[in-house]
Amino acid sequence: MALSTFVALVALGFLTGALAASLGIGGGVVFVPALVVLFAFDQHVAQGTSLAVILPTAVVSTVAHHKGERVVWRIAVPLAVAGILGALGGAALARQLDAAVLRRLFSILLLVLALRMFFRAKHVYDRRHSAADGGVDDARSEEPA
Amino acid sequence: MTRTRCAFAPVVVYVPLMRAYVEGAALGAVAGFLAGLFGIGGGVIIVPGLVLWLRLTQYEASGTAVATIVASSAAALVLFAADGKVDWFAAFALFVGSGAGAWIGGRLIERIPEHVLAGGFALVLLIAGVRLWL
Repeated sequence: MALSTFVALVALGFLTGALAASLGIGGGVVFVPALVVLFAFDQHVAQGTSLAVILPTAVVSTVAHHKGERVVWRIAVPLAVAGILGALGGAALARQLDAAVLRRLFSILLLVLALRMFFRAKHVYDRRHSAADGGVDDARSEEPA
Repeated sequence: MTRTRCAFAPVVVYVPLMRAYVEGAALGAVAGFLAGLFGIGGGVIIVPGLVLWLRLTQYEASGTAVATIVASSAAALVLFAADGKVDWFAAFALFVGSGAGAWIGGRLIERIPEHVLAGGFALVLLIAGVRLWL
């Protein structure tokens, strides 16, 4: 791998990490389309690589959350056991599917998430503007074009 | 189907906690399936599920979700790795970047109002979704 590719990947990771930390989203929905569209990865390799990043990230994050006593293990354990079975089923289906089909399914997932994120933006915006008596204009001026 | 029985075995032992177990397991199975199919963490399903369905706080939901993502992403990764569908070097680069990003970038990005950030991200997802379809 060329050094420029390595640097570009680190930069992509940086942006995703920052976004994930502030919006509370995982990296997967960013990594997979970015690897496919920007780095010309095969859909399956993009997904496998995404998982390889998510696993260590989740381990580190779990340790931090456990120390902060924010992990409800009573619920996490059955969730994880069922999650393993579900993940094996999902991955088994993914390896059967053609890359083109998987790509389009993923694109549907992204459009659904886009819609949800849009409503979240609208919700936050509305709440801010209905609750605040003053200081409305400074938020408005920061709106993207 | 002995495996499936294993997943539900705790239900028999802790009857008062049965609902949480069954609901948690159902949520885990759906989220795990999407995680395995799409190579994502699945927090997008688990976190709202834990908050709305199992009545955890947002903080507990985030903490509990990442713990389950360890298990589901490991399971899915095994199958993808067995097929040679993992670019380990790229994964390393992304991991290094995202660690730094969560640590440093998270603080910088907090200055951007949430609706701008969420709106911008919605736009990026929309473009990526359309681009991926074509």
